[in-house]
Parts: sequence; C-alpha cells; structure tokens
Amino acid sequence: MKSKFSQFLDGEIDVMSFFPEPAEERDLPRETVKEIRKEENRIIDADPATKKVVAFERRSFRFIYYIVAVISCIVFIGIMLYGVSFLPRYGQENAWATEVSRRYIENGLEETGAINIVSGMILDYRAFDTLGESHVLFTALVLVTILLRRDKKNQQSEVEDYYTVRSDRYFRTYKDVILSKVGSFLVPCILVYGVYVLLNGQLSPGGGFSGGAVMGAAMIIFAASSGFDKVDKFFSVKLSSWVTFAALGFYSFAKGYVFFTGANGIHNGIPKGTPGAILSGGLILPLDVAVGLVVACTMFGFYSLFRRGNIGGSGK
Amino acid sequence: MIGWIRFAITAVLIIAGLLFFISAVAGCWRFDFVMNRMHAAGIGDTAGLFFIVIALMVGSNAPMDILKLALLVVFMWFTSPTSSHMLAQIEYYTNPHLYSHVEREISEEAEDAEC
Repeated sequence: MKSKFSQFLDGEIDVMSFFPEPAEERDLPRETVKEIRKEENRIIDADPATKKVVAFERRSFRFIYYIVAVISCIVFIGIMLYGVSFLPRYGQENAWATEVSRRYIENGLEETGAINIVSGMILDYRAFDTLGESHVLFTALVLVTILLRRDKKNQQSEVEDYYTVRSDRYFRTYKDVILSKVGSFLVPCILVYGVYVLLNGQLSPGGGFSGGAVMGAAMIIFAASSGFDKVDKFFSVKLSSWVTFAALGFYSFAKGYVFFTGANGIHNGIPKGTPGAILSGGLILPLDVAVGLVVACTMFGFYSLFRRGNIGGSGK
Repeated sequence: MIGWIRFAITAVLIIAGLLFFISAVAGCWRFDFVMNRMHAAGIGDTAGLFFIVIALMVGSNAPMDILKLALLVVFMWFTSPTSSHMLAQIEYYTNPHLYSHVEREISEEAEDAEC
C-alpha cells in the first residue's frame, strides 16, 4: 500500500479532488442564468415588504462598499505620506535618515569603489539579497518551463501540436515588411543600449536588472519581428540553461569567497580600481553582468514559453 | 532679448504639443472603434511628442541633451507608427464586422477585390 503522497507523486491522485467543486451556475449557459435571475427578481417583487428589504440591503451594501474603499485609500495614503515625512529634504546638508544610510553615503565610495551608491549597496553591502533575487527569477523560469514546455509528455496528441504550429504560421507577423525592417533597425540599437546600461552599473544609474531587462526586450522584439527561426540559430534551451547556471554559479562563488574572507578578516585581493573608470568597483561589474544575463534569459524565456512552448531550437 | 525670444518660441511649441496631446487623450476616451482610437493615440505619440521635444531642444543649452532629444524623436517616430500599423493589421484580419464601422459606401466589386 503506497502512501497518499507517493500516489500523488506518481500522478495517481489529483490534488484538486480534495477541494469542493465550484458552484455549477458558472457553467450554465447565459440564457439559463438570466432566467434564474429573472425568477429570483419575480419572487422578490411579489411581496412589497421583501422588495423593500432587498432594496435597502443592496443600497446599504453599495454605500458601505464606497465608504470602506474611500477610507482604506485615505488610510494607505496617510501611512505612505507619514513614512515620506521622515525622509530628509532634497539637497539638504547631512541628508541621512538613519545610521545605515549615513554609513553608505560617507564610506560607500571608498569601501566599494563604485560612484553609483545604489549599485554599491545592492551588489556589495547587500549582495546576498541580490543573489536571492536572481534565484527567484531562475526559479520562476524553471517553474514556467515545467508548466508550459511543449514536449511529448505535455501534449494531447500530434494534432494539437500541428494546430499550434499552423496557427502560429497563419497569424505570423514577421512576414510584414514594415515590422521586420523596423525591427532590424531597432534591435541592434536596443541591444547596444542594454549592454551600455549593464556595463555602466557602477558609474551611472542602471545595472544588472535594468540592463538585462533592456537586453531581454531587444531579443523579444527580434523574435516578434524576424520570427523564431532566426532566434533558433543562435539561442537554444541548452545555451539559456548554461548561461543562467554559469552566471548564478559565478555569483555564488564570488560572493561566497568575499564573505568568507571578510568574515575572517583576510584581505581578499580584489582590486578596487580608480573610481570613475570603467573597470572599477571590484566585483560589482562582473556581478552586474551575471545578474543581467540571468534577467535577459528569464525575460526571453518567459516570452518564448508563453508564445510557442519552448525556449530554443533544440526543444522541438 | 535673445533669451526672451527663445522663451517665447519654447512656450508656443509646448502649447502646440499639449494641444495635440489633449486631442489624443480626448480621442482615446471618446471614440469607440479601435481604428479611430489608434489614430488618436498615434497623434499624441508623433506630433505631440515632436512639438514638445522641439520646444525642449530650443530651450536647452547643452549640445549633448539636444542630441539625445533628437534621438528620442527618431526612435518614437519609428516605433509608434509601427505599432499602429500592426494594430490596424490585426484588426483588419480578425474583425469580421469591419465594414459595418465604415460609413462610406463600398461597392461590391471593390469588396470582392479586397477579399
């Protein structure tokens, strides 16, 4: 006798069977639902007292609903404004709210080597947090792949796949001359801009997440304007997995090394560089690149999985 | 004196751009059919943005800012008409009641030729 959990693992038990069925009225045809409503209204209208009570209930519900909505909005706005009122004024001298931000502003440049204090914060002081965020993206990509990837196990029949492919060809937009020409002009510009944002993370606003998002958007535009056939030539599910794995592994090992040496008081030997140069900020630039690659792969993977059920050429 | 002339040009151009944006917003709210709304939104993204950016270029002093603003116009004029074009194409291919929205009489031969 197998336990229920191992039966669930083998796919013999549907978890949803433990929950009560939803109301059946939702599945009725619209005319039937209308007739039911009409019958209810007829019963209510028959008795003046019932009609009065029902009208009062509906009116008071609407009144209470509006009142509660307005009050909750005002309360949340008040909480936000109360929090904002603790912040220092813009351009104020000695502009720190707490001890931590004072430390960041005063010692951030010499301790991290990054001109952009935000970058120094998220990739040096709080690099562990950013590592978790990258892993959240990676986990989301893995789960979407499990749910949506169209392979032999996740497919009703050959016919379904045939219809999917055929409808994709029927509604394909990349035959459009205007779209493909505009795409071929825009995609390199956007990609170069994404790389610029990625590499300037320690110098200017931007960094891993925004640069990676721009690069992923460029790849999505390329796939939408030129078709997935062109994308398959340089991007596959294997490449995507290896890039994500290598980026996350490099991030974990590099930050693990820095945390280990820092906790034991050993000099880690990573050069900080001159602040303001492109190669400065110690580990911030490589970590930015790692985060950006993960974000770009995740964004394009989402689009590709939702659109056609696999990431790259080897999936079919 | 030259500063005042520049200010006046900037103000006039910004007001012109805002008029285009107002007409775009009004069109998006008032029209029902998707083609009309698309047209209205496209006006805001091209003409309105063009006049506002020209005004900012006249008012700006830094050459690098002027270059970036010009690039903004170039990219918006590439992307906004393209998205309008794709919207119109999808509407044309998927809306079976398209001709009921067209007020102009279309002869049957022309309809046959288009189909």
